[in-house]
Amino acid sequence: MGVLAVVPLGPIGEMAVRITAANLQAVLEIPVDILPAAALPAHAYEPTRRQYDAGRLLEDLVRICPGGYGKVLGVAAADLCIPILTYVFGEAQLGGKAALVSGWRLRGAPSGAAVPLDHYYERLAKVALHEVAHTLSLYHCEEPGCLMNFSPTLDDLDRLNLMFCERCRFSLRDNPWRLREVP
Amino acid sequence: MAGRIKILVVDDEIIVRESLIGWLKKGGYQVDSAEGGRQALGIIDEREYDLVFLDIMMPGVSGLEVLKELKGRYPQTLVVMITAYGSVETAVEAMKNGANDYLMKPFEPEQLTLLVEKLLQQKKILDENALLREQVASRSRYQDLVGASACMQKLFNLIEEVAAVDAPVLLRGATGTGKELVAKAIHAKGPRRFGPFIPINCGAFPENLLESELFGHEMGSFTGATRAKKGRLEIAQGGTLFLDEIGEIPLKMQVDLLRVLEQKVFHRVGGTGSIPLDFRLISATHRDLAKEIEQGRFRQDFYFRLNVIELEIPTLKERGEDIPLLAQHFLDRFRRETNKPVAGIEAAALDLLGSYAWPGNVRELENAMERAVVLAKGRYLNKRDFAFLFRGEAPDMPFSLEEMERNHIGQILKQCGWNISRAAQLLEINRTTLHNKIKKYELRPSK
Repeated sequence: MGVLAVVPLGPIGEMAVRITAANLQAVLEIPVDILPAAALPAHAYEPTRRQYDAGRLLEDLVRICPGGYGKVLGVAAADLCIPILTYVFGEAQLGGKAALVSGWRLRGAPSGAAVPLDHYYERLAKVALHEVAHTLSLYHCEEPGCLMNFSPTLDDLDRLNLMFCERCRFSLRDNPWRLREVP
Repeated sequence: MAGRIKILVVDDEIIVRESLIGWLKKGGYQVDSAEGGRQALGIIDEREYDLVFLDIMMPGVSGLEVLKELKGRYPQTLVVMITAYGSVETAVEAMKNGANDYLMKPFEPEQLTLLVEKLLQQKKILDENALLREQVASRSRYQDLVGASACMQKLFNLIEEVAAVDAPVLLRGATGTGKELVAKAIHAKGPRRFGPFIPINCGAFPENLLESELFGHEMGSFTGATRAKKGRLEIAQGGTLFLDEIGEIPLKMQVDLLRVLEQKVFHRVGGTGSIPLDFRLISATHRDLAKEIEQGRFRQDFYFRLNVIELEIPTLKERGEDIPLLAQHFLDRFRRETNKPVAGIEAAALDLLGSYAWPGNVRELENAMERAVVLAKGRYLNKRDFAFLFRGEAPDMPFSLEEMERNHIGQILKQCGWNISRAAQLLEINRTTLHNKIKKYELRPSK
């Protein structure tokens, strides 16, 4: 059994989920399991905004995640928001159990067309790693290129490397061990 | 940096409060919350917050009431009003009451980040400016002189020593270094401080007028002398006579003054009565008097008489570290005089002032600050406000390529009435790129 569970939420490409899980496993050096897909809960849908409330989805992820996993990441294709922000690429419980990433806004290119799939997968992995690191109590980081930079736009996201800076790596170092400790 | 920033979120809606707190905590900020105006007013005294997010519409004590109270108690705390769609007018009213910005729920993630970064930068400037003001008000201020540099501190100590004795002092320093202020400080610290301080710029009068100005005259002593007049030497009795630009005094007048200084008496022009000399003499020049003596333009005996104690006033370039203090000092003065709401100077602008050569010394800095305050468009003086120092010809030309690009795009958009397609065509870029640039530079159509 892995320590991080990846749960596809609603309709999302299998490849996107697999690549995201592989990146989490490689960069965080922890065992990752992909669990069966779950439906997007209707109560998390905000009809006025036509988006899903990321906060409620996180609560749901905690509820549906089987015991034994320290952390859980939901991967969705739906558009996400939180009450104060018009949209988010992902969301996490700081120091908590659940994180979330959505591919809804990650396909866009400056020209208006969609970016190639490999570019999309890379963005998905970056947001997933960023959000999971929040559950490991990492804050936003100002080091250029670090995955923990706050990236409100795709341009910002594309400027990030697929790795953490030295300081964030140091903060993460003991965390995989701590992951196992979480009941 | 972020960890030291204390933020308070005041909102009656728990979901707004929690999501804003969650977002801010991920940035590493220290965040507290209050679920209403009354609770907020209770906790603002417990910790001095750097930034407060304040909902306008709350039951009980409203956001506007909290704002007034908060700004009254802690004017340095920055406040962002949170408003819902449709209550922008209240937000504008809040801005008039001292709020620093407002956000309409829900916000764009980028907008929130930029706003927080902008406000924290402002806070840093405010804190730095407060520190400078404190420095100006304490050790770095001596009479009307301002300076924390080692050379100015040394000068203040010398003034203290010199002021106690009645010997003539010669001040040497380039134009605009503040020689008259030093003379006034010596006067104010000396035993003659209750007497008058009488300055005269010797270079400003032709020879015959200077004589009358210094010694005074009796009625009818020359054409136009319709009544008797006291000269500066006489008016200065009991106080200090400050002869500025002494190097400009003609040789004949040097002899007259030398005689007065030696005999300790003088006569009015056309008069016969001796008037005893009873003032302290301070003179000043920007010239190298030793060279003037060599070239026969200045009397050596007169020089020795004036130069019992010599003080050298440093140029502004020699005390570059004082530029922020002086800038703050002049900013405070001109803000008071002009009633302009200029809150401070950006660090980049201070760096720019530090890089300038200041050939006109403190006086030039004083004039530059006055001009910048009078013409300032924002709450903080920035690099652009001092651009005139570096280029007289094109005062509005920006410094950086980015600024140039921003101005150019803004100009074209204005010309095209914000028709994006037309503007993109003129700029020879595609519409998406133009949209990205508009977003990046936060360009908006003017109302």
